[in-house]
Amino acid sequence: MRCSINWLKKYVNLDGVTPEELAEKLTRAGLEVEGIEKVAEGTNLVIGEVLTCVEHPDSDHLHVTTVNVGDEVLNIVCGAPNVAAGQKVIVSKVGAKLAGGFEIKPAKVRGVESNGMICSLSELGVDKKWQTEEQLSGIYVFEEDAPVGETNVLEYLGLDDTILDIGLTPNRADCNAMWNLAVEVAAVLHREVSLPAYEGASKCGAPTSFKLASKTEKCPVFVGKVVNHVKVGPSPKWMQNVLHSYGIKSINNVVDISNYVMIETGQPLHYYDLSKLPHHEITVVDDVDMTMQALDGIDYEIKKGDLLITTGGVPTGIAGIMGGEESKIDEQTTSIFIEAAAFNAVSIRNTSRRLGLATEAASHFIKGLEPLSQMKAVDRSVQLLKELAEADGFEENVQVGVIDESVKTVTETLTHCNTLLGTDFAMEDVLKILTELNLNPVQDGDSFTCTIPSYRTDLNIREDIDEEIIRMLGYEGLKKTLPTMEATVGELTPIQKARRTVRTALSGMGLSEAVTYTLVSKAAIDHEVMSFGSAVELASPMSEERRYVRTSLMPKLMECLAYNAAHKNENINLFEISAVYAQDKVQERVGLVLSGSLQNSKLHGVNITSDFYTLKGVLESLLKQLGITANRLNYKENTMDVKNFHPYRSACIYLGKELLGMMGEVHPALVKQLGLPKGAVVAEFRLDLLMNVKLTKVKFKPIAKYPSVKRDIALVVKSEVKASELSAVISKAGKALVKNIEVFDVYEGEHVEKGFKSVALSILYQADDHTLTEQEITTVHTNILSALEKQCNAVLRG
Amino acid sequence: MEKIDIVKQEALNAIEQCSTLEELNQIRVTYLGKKGPIQSLMSLMKGLSAEEKPAFGAEVNACKQAVAAVLEEKKTELEEKALLERLVKEKIDVTLPAAPIKTGTLHPLTLVAQEMEDLFISMGYTIGEGPEVELDLYNFERANIPQDHPARDMQDTFYINPEVLLRTHTTAIQMRELEKAGGKLPVKVICPGKVYRRDDDDATHSHQFMQCEGLVVAENITLADLKGTLSYMADRMFGKGREIRFRPSYFQFTEPSVEVDVSCHMCGGKGCPVCKGTGWIEVLGGGMVHPNVLEMAGFDSKKCSGFAFGVGVERVAMLKYGVDDIRNFYINDARFLKMFDRFD
Repeated sequence: MRCSINWLKKYVNLDGVTPEELAEKLTRAGLEVEGIEKVAEGTNLVIGEVLTCVEHPDSDHLHVTTVNVGDEVLNIVCGAPNVAAGQKVIVSKVGAKLAGGFEIKPAKVRGVESNGMICSLSELGVDKKWQTEEQLSGIYVFEEDAPVGETNVLEYLGLDDTILDIGLTPNRADCNAMWNLAVEVAAVLHREVSLPAYEGASKCGAPTSFKLASKTEKCPVFVGKVVNHVKVGPSPKWMQNVLHSYGIKSINNVVDISNYVMIETGQPLHYYDLSKLPHHEITVVDDVDMTMQALDGIDYEIKKGDLLITTGGVPTGIAGIMGGEESKIDEQTTSIFIEAAAFNAVSIRNTSRRLGLATEAASHFIKGLEPLSQMKAVDRSVQLLKELAEADGFEENVQVGVIDESVKTVTETLTHCNTLLGTDFAMEDVLKILTELNLNPVQDGDSFTCTIPSYRTDLNIREDIDEEIIRMLGYEGLKKTLPTMEATVGELTPIQKARRTVRTALSGMGLSEAVTYTLVSKAAIDHEVMSFGSAVELASPMSEERRYVRTSLMPKLMECLAYNAAHKNENINLFEISAVYAQDKVQERVGLVLSGSLQNSKLHGVNITSDFYTLKGVLESLLKQLGITANRLNYKENTMDVKNFHPYRSACIYLGKELLGMMGEVHPALVKQLGLPKGAVVAEFRLDLLMNVKLTKVKFKPIAKYPSVKRDIALVVKSEVKASELSAVISKAGKALVKNIEVFDVYEGEHVEKGFKSVALSILYQADDHTLTEQEITTVHTNILSALEKQCNAVLRG
Repeated sequence: MEKIDIVKQEALNAIEQCSTLEELNQIRVTYLGKKGPIQSLMSLMKGLSAEEKPAFGAEVNACKQAVAAVLEEKKTELEEKALLERLVKEKIDVTLPAAPIKTGTLHPLTLVAQEMEDLFISMGYTIGEGPEVELDLYNFERANIPQDHPARDMQDTFYINPEVLLRTHTTAIQMRELEKAGGKLPVKVICPGKVYRRDDDDATHSHQFMQCEGLVVAENITLADLKGTLSYMADRMFGKGREIRFRPSYFQFTEPSVEVDVSCHMCGGKGCPVCKGTGWIEVLGGGMVHPNVLEMAGFDSKKCSGFAFGVGVERVAMLKYGVDDIRNFYINDARFLKMFDRFD
């Protein structure tokens, strides 16, 4: 809401209150002033008369003038093309400060002395959109009768105004009406407000034959009035200035009145040229599909559901948004029909949006009207039309629907108010401010009952009144306390704890946490990992890039990796924890991407490459910290997703029978397509799954008292035999004596027959209750070797 | 007897002149060995009288011990010298770069959210959660925002169908938490989470962002309690000594509603570019839970009251760390992420 200080002064005495002070007070009371804007700026200005004007001897565009400013004649060099002798002009004298801090100093312009400047409106800071072509192209020229020597130039121009730009919260749409805003201003200043008396002004006129109807509940109330005589002409300067300050161009007195009353009352009005309405009949409908031309000369597609004004079955206006071209008021108009209707906010919002027509009227409807605004607007229209447009020949009001004239009351007690707020306000102060807000409080002991004016649709319950009280009495004095109640225990849930474990563990291992967008493209859905249902799709996405709710973390994490690769960031190791969604399903997952190396230093000969096995190590270490030891995990070759993963360097990780996650190298084709670092490895697993399984508990075991013995073996086996199979056989054959098996070398090549490989393992033997004898070790070791030979065709390498 | 002294002196001289442990060991073998000169003195005993023998024997032993003691002394001395020489050779350049012990970082939004969570856990709150793909019921209806309310225009929403949407605020979690409590007091919960709005992304807008809301419902909860609670939060998030200022505002689920300004952490309230010269920064919104919200969730609004507040996690992170573009949080540039190696 733009609010003109000059306009406000009509209703509230603002003596001694600067716009800045008022802005501060309004902001404190909840009407946030977001900007204070001077319509024009300039000091040391005077109206002058150009006595002589000759061309500058040393320039092809400058003029040398003498200007009478009343008490002296100034020599001024002027560059404007339209300057001429005899003009009355705005002169800024030496020492003047103009918009933007520009200062006027005595100067010599190409050898000619210049003491001041003849100004354009732009130089006074007047916005371009309020100026005519002529005004924009040069200096401002007054009418001939302008008083030379007048120093209150801005006031003379009607530009000595300041505009407060107020950001209204949705509940205070009433303050889009200047009158309601004036009440608010008076209340914050504790001053009187005097609004024009206009009630009942429309209770006049002869019987009417005008027919009004609404065929839709989206137009519950419509008040109309025929005025058989008006005289169209320019509107008075004060009204033009006011509209100007509000951002509305002056057209003529009649149209200006409709806009002026809209700002005063908040009720959008439409005045029709009565003679251009083919029938004295208006019907509001919302069931038409057609194209119609509005006031702005543009054709608009009207669809079923849009509110439309029709006359004789023919559309004549987009209801609440813009009138039609045919019935527009112009210089020839002599009679009018006044429309003040209540149109459904949602319907207007939808139509206005779809058509891209964000008119002032539409904006008022969308923000919501008060129940009495139609009648207020018609009353005030009649009053102003009489005063300013010689209106006569009124017919009585026509009306559709019933205006809700019920009066709301809200009762509150001082005790409840102070209890809710934690304050100790006194009854006297409370009653005073409620009175100033026009809420008519009546006290009864501890309680008081407010009679709510029609426009305060936001006040319905006692808490609403409490807010009025504290916003006016001020939040400054509010104490700082903490809730008093029985102690409660604050704690994390298991999944919340698990997330923190993931973060601590992975960041400790050198991975950084990423947060990526939830909404993704079709391509990202196509590249999901571990599909668990079809993706959730937005009804109206903003772009194809963000059409779906992601079903897996990997696509976005790979995008991060690609971004970093493109920016030459190396060794990128990231993780993300997030929920992912499918139709009616949700999973919580952890995603990891590793590239380059995890730790490396040429200088110190360190290089932990970010490869499959490093990723496996990271995962196992993490899962162990989450309560899943590595021996509970089952790695199976990946056959389910060969689109994202390298088919021979990836695995499905099972926990029991459930698929916990997948890991592996990114498919080389995808690496190339996305521009990922070569050999990047990724993993995604379900954190939510861990919440449903039994976690391994930390348990004390006595530290081994007896020595251990290590035996190394090198086995030649067929290439496809897995290390895990060998380990399993060893564990089984060695029973409790085998404490650890370490694979320390795998070799395929020259010294091993083709199709075979050599696997070197180190087996650690130890008994819990005695020192193993050489005999015992040899026995178990022999058993193991023969089991390996039998079950894996493993041959001890000589 | 003189013979003993001569041998002893000879041995001591040899020790004295010795400069390596190897030489010293040779001296030990030479002088203290079974065939060494001291031992061979014993053979002189034969020519002595019975009275002289004990004294002579004692004298030889004393000689042996004295030589051994000096030898030991010399050995320690030489060992120390050798150690010193070795240490000198082992000298390193302490200014060479460290071997890498790279740790990762937590996302700045996590750092901020966890700090808030920890503060409220310490005050006895639990952490509430809910789905991002949310029902209109919890996102709007229960939050006192009816179907055609203009507030729905303010919070343009990603709908999936008329009943399901991407939640536009973490208020949806609060509504679930209230329902879960089933009318049982007190409710003390903090609700962090991702939220979504149909905004075009730019330096200050993001279609996805993180909020953290808090809710307390019990008997006689006051607006002053909200101020006190938020004052603690401001201190924790922006450093001790922050002031809190309430300004009236409007949210559908609270009445009265307030905007909360925190005194500027950069200038301490004197005025600087960060606070645009006002000394205050708008950080939070909050208020007293609307009675309709309490009633819809099964609480008797005459018997209890509550406060709620909400804060934008990105907003806090941007203010705290001086991040100038909200998109940074979602690009995950490694150079950006590694700046946040602690909460600070």
